[in-house]
Amino acid sequence: MFLLPKGNPLFENLAAGKLKLPEVMSKLSTGGFTGYASFIFQASTTILVFETGKLVSVLYEETNGNRETGFDAMSILVELMVTSASGTLNVYKLSKDLTMCIHALLQGEILYKAQELKLIDIKTLLDKIKSDQMNGCLRIYTSEHSAMIFYKDGNPLGFFHDGSHDIETSSSESQKIAGLPGAKIDLFSTQGVEELMGIDLLEVINIQKIWDAACAVHQSEINKTSKDREEREKKAVQLQLGELEEQLKVIVTEYLGKIGRGIVEKELTEQGNSAGLQNDAGSVKFLTSIERSAKLLIGATNIKAMMERLSAVITAAKSDI
Amino acid sequence: MEKFIEIFAQLNAYDIIQVVLWGLAGAMSFYFSIGNARVWTSISLGFFLIFLSQAYSINPWVHYYKLSAFHYIIGTVAIMVITHGFLEYYVFCRTFEISGKKVVVYMTTLLILAISGIFLLINPTPSPNTIRNIKMVENAIWVFLSVMNIELIRKIYVAIKDSTISRGFIAFGIVFFCIFLWKGSELYLQIFQWDMDWQYIIAMMTDEVSDIDKYPARVQFSQMISQYAGLVTSVSVGGTFFYMYRLLK
Repeated sequence: MFLLPKGNPLFENLAAGKLKLPEVMSKLSTGGFTGYASFIFQASTTILVFETGKLVSVLYEETNGNRETGFDAMSILVELMVTSASGTLNVYKLSKDLTMCIHALLQGEILYKAQELKLIDIKTLLDKIKSDQMNGCLRIYTSEHSAMIFYKDGNPLGFFHDGSHDIETSSSESQKIAGLPGAKIDLFSTQGVEELMGIDLLEVINIQKIWDAACAVHQSEINKTSKDREEREKKAVQLQLGELEEQLKVIVTEYLGKIGRGIVEKELTEQGNSAGLQNDAGSVKFLTSIERSAKLLIGATNIKAMMERLSAVITAAKSDI
Repeated sequence: MEKFIEIFAQLNAYDIIQVVLWGLAGAMSFYFSIGNARVWTSISLGFFLIFLSQAYSINPWVHYYKLSAFHYIIGTVAIMVITHGFLEYYVFCRTFEISGKKVVVYMTTLLILAISGIFLLINPTPSPNTIRNIKMVENAIWVFLSVMNIELIRKIYVAIKDSTISRGFIAFGIVFFCIFLWKGSELYLQIFQWDMDWQYIIAMMTDEVSDIDKYPARVQFSQMISQYAGLVTSVSVGGTFFYMYRLLK
């Protein structure tokens, strides 16, 4: 994503995850805002350009260079805001002319793209910009450096380059980059401010609807994830309870014989299955019932040993579950 | 006291040994019931009641017919309580359900005995023939319920055969087989009017004649079985409860 001049910062580093896009749009729109808002996420940036409260362009760009504009860009932004907790919002106020140039840079007509500077007569190009009274942006860059010159009616509005935060009046940095080997240019043009004012994406795109739909989808995904997690946890608990039940049966059978399995099954059924052992009252009741049955089958010494083993197994299982 | 000495003098060694052995068996079974599960209470109490029913031999007031009849009623209640206990044990083996309280068993048994006593008190004094009839009913119930208990014990044993106590039920099976022989032989003699009561009391009081002279071997064999099976039963009951006590220690 291009570095853009910061102009007059209104908000910086607001947590995007806590904001509601329809409300942000409404504020910027009703406030007659001119400038741009940038939503910066881990792997992408979205720029929204406003001219006197009208949303004139939206550009979404990923770090790998993939781009989307208009409705698609807005939809992706909404999804990111709803789902991501790490994004930030910056809002910068710019002059109308500069905003127009930013729009040109983002979504204007591409006259030259990655054109090697040494193959171009730069003087003739600058004369053409002037003579055609072009509105737009000339970007001069190498693999490591970049500078931009913004034009209105063919006259330079200012210069912007890497490392600076705002528009400068000096062209020295731009000239320096233009002199570097392998320097290239992009030239973007756009309509004048008046024409741009005719565009308002907020009238075309129902942000509230997109937002509500995204929230609903996100909520259903959260619910589904939550439900899946609950089911997984439930299954894990059931598995552990199943293992506990088998352990209890093995111990009781060891002392009482095969009738022990039936006694354990019956007592667990009365407790509401092995889940009933999770609370103290249930486990005490279970142990008491087993002891009462065991009195009919084995001696006191064996009952004591069996009860100690059962208690230990239940206690261990309780701490695990 | 004189009456007691007179009765004691009339007792033979067999009667004394049998009562003493039943006394030991009763004490053992009663001791066993203390501190054990409720189901054992019915079984132990039933075997203890056998001692009370057998104690008529040394009862100085046995010549009171109503008291004599009460002894036989106690015997009948004894086998019913025992059967109830084994039935409950069998139900436990099939459903693993245990319910009720010991005190209920004691109180219910006492209530049945009290009602039986009242029944005897409010009715005319039973004749020797009536007492013999009561004794025959008692024996019939004992024989029938012994067979039923043997079957119940077999089923209980199948259900718990790999548990510690299962061998104790084999011992109970032997006990009931002895009881079957003991009471069965008595019933056999009574049915054919070859029993002592008939010969010494009824035959003398009526003109009726029995055919005892035609079957001396059968009568002698049955009398021998009745005598020795009674002794062996008392020994086996005491031994079984002692064995059970050791198994459940």
